Amino acid sequence: MIGTDAGFDIADARSADATAERPYWIALSLVPGIGPVSFARLLARYGSARRAWGAGTRMLADVPRAPAGATEVLRRLRRSGPMVITRGLERQLRLLGGQLLTPLDAGYPPALGSVAAPPPVLYLAGDAEALHVPAVAVVGTRRPTGYGRSCATEIADELARAGLAVVSGLALGIDGEAHQAALAADGRTIAVLPSPLDRIYPPRHRDLAARIAVSGGALLTELPPGQPVGRPDFARRNRLIAGLSRATVVVEAPDRSGALLTASAAIDIGRELFAVPGPIDSRTSSGTNRLIADHLASLVTSPWAVLTGLGVGRGERPVVAASLSESEALALGTLLRRSGSIEELVTRTGVSAGALAGALTMLEARGLVTSYGGATFHPTLAARRIGKGR
Amino acid sequence: MLAQAHTAALLGVDGVPVRVEVDVAFGLPSLTIVGLAGSQVQEARERVRSALRNGGFEAPARRITVNLSPADLPKDGTGYDLPIAIGVLAASGQLPAVARLASCALIGELALDGALRPVNGVMALVAAVRDAGADEVVVAALDEREAAIVSGIRVHGAASLAEAVAHVAAVRVLPDAVPPSSPEVAALSGPDLADVQGQLVARRALEVAVAGRHNLVLCGPPGVGKTLLASCATGLQPALDADEALEVSRIYSAAGLVNRTRPLVRERPFRAPHHTVSTQALVGGGPRVRPGEASLAHRGTLFLDETLQYRQDALEALRQPMEAGVVTIARVDGALTMPARFALIAAFNPCPCGWLGSRRMACRCDDAIARRYAARMSGPLRDRIDLWIPMEEPAGAGSVDGVEPSDVVRRRVERAWGRQLERQQSANAEIPARLLDGELLQRSAARLLAQRGRRFHLSPRRLHRAMRVARTIADLAGSEAVRGEHVDEALQYRPPVAA
Repeated sequence: MIGTDAGFDIADARSADATAERPYWIALSLVPGIGPVSFARLLARYGSARRAWGAGTRMLADVPRAPAGATEVLRRLRRSGPMVITRGLERQLRLLGGQLLTPLDAGYPPALGSVAAPPPVLYLAGDAEALHVPAVAVVGTRRPTGYGRSCATEIADELARAGLAVVSGLALGIDGEAHQAALAADGRTIAVLPSPLDRIYPPRHRDLAARIAVSGGALLTELPPGQPVGRPDFARRNRLIAGLSRATVVVEAPDRSGALLTASAAIDIGRELFAVPGPIDSRTSSGTNRLIADHLASLVTSPWAVLTGLGVGRGERPVVAASLSESEALALGTLLRRSGSIEELVTRTGVSAGALAGALTMLEARGLVTSYGGATFHPTLAARRIGKGR
Repeated sequence: MLAQAHTAALLGVDGVPVRVEVDVAFGLPSLTIVGLAGSQVQEARERVRSALRNGGFEAPARRITVNLSPADLPKDGTGYDLPIAIGVLAASGQLPAVARLASCALIGELALDGALRPVNGVMALVAAVRDAGADEVVVAALDEREAAIVSGIRVHGAASLAEAVAHVAAVRVLPDAVPPSSPEVAALSGPDLADVQGQLVARRALEVAVAGRHNLVLCGPPGVGKTLLASCATGLQPALDADEALEVSRIYSAAGLVNRTRPLVRERPFRAPHHTVSTQALVGGGPRVRPGEASLAHRGTLFLDETLQYRQDALEALRQPMEAGVVTIARVDGALTMPARFALIAAFNPCPCGWLGSRRMACRCDDAIARRYAARMSGPLRDRIDLWIPMEEPAGAGSVDGVEPSDVVRRRVERAWGRQLERQQSANAEIPARLLDGELLQRSAARLLAQRGRRFHLSPRRLHRAMRVARTIADLAGSEAVRGEHVDEALQYRPPVAA
């Protein structure tokens, strides 16, 4: 078995005696300090996980950043033996409604083949089928503006309706909006977690995670249950988000945002990258605007521009019928051209602030506009469909 | 010999009648004051002795006992000096028998040379002795104007102990003080709404807030005009009417904040305590209960700039007055209440750095820290806010034409107040909950509100608040019926769902 220094070939891995080898992969991946890169190096040096395991603590010489306790943990793991470890882990995962996947399993997502250092073990909850649907990642800042939320919703909605899985990181902000929009459109969505399955991060998205898992989507992570979460885990999962997806859309990201790491991961493995432009005075869009300016990402010109770019046809769009009063129609019509605060609407429509405030409450109640708790109002998907229905 | 004089003790903003009993007996020379007299009262011994001697009287070298009755009421302050001194004179036979001590109350602090000095809370004290049956009262000359505001009692200002004694002994009767004529309301000095750039929604919300005396939150990044807007609040409201002026002046008198030459407060209070204010200073209290900022803002505005920087316990202490309109302070010897019917304006940034949700600047706060910061506005406190306005930077440099100055808005607010007082004798924010479920809203508007409540997951308390705000919006529009559009506008100003 030949592996490169940075990774290993999934097809190669499968050709080995998979059933015998699998428990050793799982056991080896549990040794502290053995991440995807060290794992690949060990495979290359010893030929198989089984032989690496056989080498005992000597193999830690090939793990450059093994923590102090690694030897002790390895000794303990070796006393239990790979079979016992695997069975215990699988039992634990079953309780969480999860399973584990190694590149030796047929269910391992093929799209991860081109990722540098694919994870030797993936922990999954939900529908494993979701990993085999063509997918597009929608990522962005945890602190989006209303504009970003609205864009994420519309793009994810278009993707889900077109039958693509929406991949994101379950974070607050853009990630959450993308997952939610995909669920609302009855689509599949995959959340790549920075945490193990038994401690969903962020806790505020626990409900969302549960809904993803039961509605044809999947929760995916590299971390075994019980593992504490560290900062690098956030960066590491970004490469999985990009790797699982045919294309990555960055909706809103300031400079030095985690979403930009996902973007560069997509570039590294040669996947399509899209970025949603933002106002040039908006700090929250400075990262995405730079991606476009540097010709690293394609400019997203409409919610379905990603579909066009990938050559995928648009899904069906239901048309909503609604009857509106004059001032409500005026407010909504103005917002459909461009989102804005009540103050901006006053200047654009000439209607008084008080009357507009009332009209917007009514539009909010009917699910046609939303302010995401801020001062700026955005038309919702339903509102856009009225626009198109006319 | 035994003598009695009448005076009053200050408890919060109210006076309690106090009888000063003086007994002069043979024995070693001493002056003992009993009746839960605090340290300020104990020091009266030295002041009284010196004032008597230097005022041309004799400080009797006898065993003098002073009892302040009711003896179980803790007493503090310096107003007992005058009744004690005159009581000593009466008990030692230095006053002619005609002394009118039974009907003439005495309030004042003595200087060592016998001059009479003013005390705090004279309005409340004079009202208390009047209610206890006194026909006249002698106060310090400097307190005369303030005391004369109280009707139903003859007030005399005395410059010294000698003058007071001459009056009580009917040797030289002091003239009656003339109640001060209601002063002109000075032109308001605060900023004008015309100075505020843009912010049409916040401006509208401020108008609604002052028109119904509702609580208002302005939340937005630094520099968008939150403070300026809030400072306009007083200029949008009519001056205090005669009854309100009495109530407010009495509080200021008790706090010792009254202007002694113009003691009647006519300007609607606007209190903006600094965010380091202690709980006691904010709501009142302490061993010697004084009115806090909440009471000083009675009938006016309490403005908390950077609200979330205030001490948490101080903020929470505001809940009770916000609900009840009074501050209740529990004491060992029973509860004490002070009026505190203020309208709150709270202005704050959405996160510690201030830029959360702003387009112009990136927020640098850690997510958890920002959330904890916002949570300083606790659920119960948030529940008591009627209008919550998120503010952001004005959209463009181009300002909106026809921005109204304060007096135009004030005329609308005055009309809305008139409607409220005629209908329910109180501001809309103070309509009790039991009246809300009746005929306040048109049936269709009530149905709409219930529907919106389910849609937006609003609590019954929140719906009640929205009803009151809708009532005010209808009053501003000159409409007797509260219609759906008023309900919808009121709901637009609801607080965001807590994160």
